[in-house]
Parts: sequence; structure tokens; C-alpha cells
Amino acid sequence: MSAISVSHLCLSRGGRLLIEDLNFHLDVGRIMVILGPNGAGKSSLLMALAGMLDSDAGEVKINGKKLTDFHRGELASSLAWQGTLPSAEFGLSVDQRLQLAMQSGLSSDIDRETRSDACAKQDLSALCQRVLGELSSGERQRVELAALLVRDCPIWLLDEPCAHVDIRHQVAWLQVMREKAESGKTMLAVLHDVQQAAAIADDVILVYGDGRIRTGQAEALLVPDVLNELFQTDLQRVSGGFLIPNYRGEKTANL
Amino acid sequence: MINRKPYLRLAGLLFILLAAVLISLAAGERWLNPFSSVDSMNQTILWELRWPRLLTAFAVGGLLALAGAWFQVMLGNALAEPYVLGVAGSAAVGAVIVLAFFPDSGFGMSFGAFVGSGLGIAAVMLFARLGPGKLLLAGVVLAAFWSAVIALMLALLPQGKLGLALGWMLGDLSSSVIPVPLLLCLWALALVCGMFLSRSLDRLLLGEAHAAALGVDVSHLRWQLLIAASAATAIAVTAAGTIGFIGLVIPHAMRLVFGSLHRFVLPASAIGGGVLLMLADSGARSVIAPAELPVGVITAFIGVPVFLWLLRRKA
Repeated sequence: MSAISVSHLCLSRGGRLLIEDLNFHLDVGRIMVILGPNGAGKSSLLMALAGMLDSDAGEVKINGKKLTDFHRGELASSLAWQGTLPSAEFGLSVDQRLQLAMQSGLSSDIDRETRSDACAKQDLSALCQRVLGELSSGERQRVELAALLVRDCPIWLLDEPCAHVDIRHQVAWLQVMREKAESGKTMLAVLHDVQQAAAIADDVILVYGDGRIRTGQAEALLVPDVLNELFQTDLQRVSGGFLIPNYRGEKTANL
Repeated sequence: MINRKPYLRLAGLLFILLAAVLISLAAGERWLNPFSSVDSMNQTILWELRWPRLLTAFAVGGLLALAGAWFQVMLGNALAEPYVLGVAGSAAVGAVIVLAFFPDSGFGMSFGAFVGSGLGIAAVMLFARLGPGKLLLAGVVLAAFWSAVIALMLALLPQGKLGLALGWMLGDLSSSVIPVPLLLCLWALALVCGMFLSRSLDRLLLGEAHAAALGVDVSHLRWQLLIAASAATAIAVTAAGTIGFIGLVIPHAMRLVFGSLHRFVLPASAIGGGVLLMLADSGARSVIAPAELPVGVITAFIGVPVFLWLLRRKA
């Protein structure tokens, strides 16, 4: 069954058309990665799917039910959204932030255990009583990842989950995503690292920023020609199948 | 095991409340022992002057602190306070207009303040759809406009009435026109409404997008908060004029003591605001007795050092 199905979705912001006629079905347990240049509309697309932004046209169904038929609370228990870092203005602690992410909202022993487990998975155990504003951006981002684990929704919408995060925890997070997908969670993630996209994506959406979009299987779209057209850059495939950028601007033969 | 610390601290706050009530009953032009005053003169002072006044102070202080807490969450800014959107300014304009054009009566000024704050709220609501940032800016600009109107009115006011106008603007608990039981009911109603919203308010602390993603109907909540906080402010201003600092200092101080979750911050603010205003009013009545100081001066003198101390201790 499709966890998310989108038909003829059009999206614009500030009078600029970002996405025109997007169609896809994302089956349960699959990971779809959204790629595209800055400002192309990737985050807007995620927010539209999360019901936080109105689209111009088209229909979104979550687990077969129209997005517009959802009550806010019901939608929030079906899908989790991870976006920009939350405000640290009011001195919430890490544990309180996780408490707010919980579905149940009861302060039972089980909930406490769930939170400390999630903290442990993100190496945050030593920080769980600290105030968000005292943490580094990378640590705060990991708190958001822990919040996803605590919330435990069947569908995850992730907007650059690895932003600010060090490489060890990036790798660990991608493994978590893979495991969670295998256990039946469905994910739609904006990533900027095409290496990482290639490592975990089943399906891909390319967002060009002028309304054009392309959807397809990862193997078909994560190739130099397509990506270079998308990003207007010069990625090259080297041995081992990695796509690397040409930082020095030298011409090298494609392998 | 549940975390008992906030509950113990709430109990401590109730103890402080009790002490503040006793101090407020005892303090004034004539010091009384609240327990052993048997002569009828003292009984009259206690029951007809001090009890109503301290209860008014308690309710007004609590309402201001609750309004401050709500405005801070709604605007996503820990430095917001009940008057930040110009509600106090428009209330003062209403009161001063009544004072200028009608024979002076406490009731008339309160009525003017009530109408004025209503108009001020309506003006702010025109900008509510634009989101917290622009709402805050609009409020600040409106507040500046109201102060300009007040300055104009004060310049035109006859000499004899200037003192009344200034006294009202610095806060005056001696002539509340709202009956004490009604005021206490409104205090309780505000607190109960706040407690019902507390979980949504907690989530709004993360920002509007995160709150929405966690299932909060943000635009609905924003309207509820704007209406509740403005109404609480309007009631407080109508009862006692514009008393500053409580709405800023108390919610902030309570967050430092109780953490950020609203199921503790709201009751603590409702009580703590009341305690601060009761104590400030006791001071205002006794420092230069038989004359009275404006209570707003005292709230600033108590509130600012306490706030700065809390801020430093936390840092």
C-alpha cells in the first residue's frame, strides 16, 4: 500500500512556481530522497506534505486518506516532520524537548525509558538535562533526531536530518533510517549529499526550481549526467561508484 | 517516579503567598496585628479596606503575569510583556480622554480604560494574521502612537487633573471599580483556560512550525492567546491602571525557578504575580504613610533587582 501518494501537485511560493504536476506513490517501508539546488522548493514540498503549507492544486493522500480530511492531531500522529532547529528562546531542556515530542504525553516510567533510550542512541545521555541554547548546532540537530525516535510515527518527513551533524553521527543516522525503513517506516528525506542519497535512497525526486521535477528509482537518476544537469555542476564517477565533485576544476577522464 | 521538585516549589510559593497576605493585612498607615485586632475600628480597616485591596492586588498581579506569559509564548519572545502590543497605551488614552472631558470619577476613567483597551486590541488584531514578528512590530509602533496621544492629552489637560492622570498611569489599587469577587473569578478563569492550553503552549515554545508538526492548530491557538492575554490585560488595567514590570518579570522568573513547562509556569505566575503586587502595594501604602506611592514604582524597584539577580544566578 502507498504510505504517501501525490497526484498533480502544484506548489508555488511568493508568486514563483516551484513544483508543477508532481505525481508519485511511496510504498510503505521505502526511502525517497529529494534532491535539488537551494531554494528549489524541497522544504516547501515537505511542508506541503506535512499539511503545513497549502498547495495550489493537486491531491495528497496519507495512508489512502486525503490530507485535507485529516484533523491536525491525527495527522501529527501519522507523520513526523523534522525541519529547522526549534526555538531555544525559552530555556527548554533536552529532556523537556523530547517530552513535547511524545505522543502519549504521560510522564510514566515507560515514557522516561523511551526518552533515555533515544538520548543514548544519539549519544546525548550526558546532555539530557542541559538547556537547548547551551548545545552546539550539531548536538541540537541530534536532539531533533532523538525526538523523531521518541515520536515514533509511521511516516517521517526529514528536511536535511544530517545538517550540522558530524560524520560519525551522520553515518549512524543513515543506518538508523535504513533499519527503521526495514521495520516498516516510510521516509521522505531532503539530503544534500548525493553520496548519502545513493547509499540509502530507493526512490528519488529531483526538484529543479523552475517547476520541473523528475521522479524515479535511485539507480536510474543518481548518475552524473542527470545530477550535473540538476545542480549545474561537474560531478564525476570514480572507481567504487562514488560521485565526487571536481573541486579543483581540472578536467579528468570519466571512469 | 515523578519529578517532585516543581510541586515542592509550588508549595513553597503558596507559603510565600500566605506570608504576603499577612504582611499586606498588617502594613499600612497604621500597623495592625491581623490576628488580635478586636476593636471595631481595626476590624473595619481590615475587612473593608485591606482585604478588598489585597485581593484586588492579588488578582490584578496574577492576571498581568498570566498575560505576560501568554504574550511571550505567542510572540516567541521572552522579553514580551502585557503592554508590548500597546494595550496599556490605548487604555490610558481612553482613561485620560474621560478625565479631560468629563467630571472626574474613578468609574469614568475605568470605563474609558476598558473601551480604550478594547480599541487597542482591535487595532492589534488587524495585524495578527501577519505572524508573530510583524505583530510584535505593529504592536510596538501602535504603543508608540498611543504614548504620543497620551503626551498630547497631558499637555492639554488642566493643571488640576494632571496629578490624577499620572497617578492612574502609574497604577492605583485604591479605587478599583471591578468588584473583588468578580476579579477573583476572572483570575481563576484565566488560570483554568491557561491550564487547558498548557500542552499546546509548551509545544509552541519550539516555534510555530514545530508546534504545527506536533499537532497544534497554531493559528487557532494564536487567536485564543491574543484574545485571552488582551482580555486579561484589559481587566487588570481597568481595575488598577497601568502597573509595569509584573508581566515581564514574573513569567520569566517563574521559568527560571520552575523550568519552561506551562503546567507549572502558569499557576506559579498567577500566584507569583499576585504576591509581587500585594507586597508592592503594601510598600506603596506604608513607605511614606499617610501618603501613598504609585504602586508601579514599587513593582519596578522590587521586580528589576530580583529579575537581574535571577538572570545572573542562572548564567
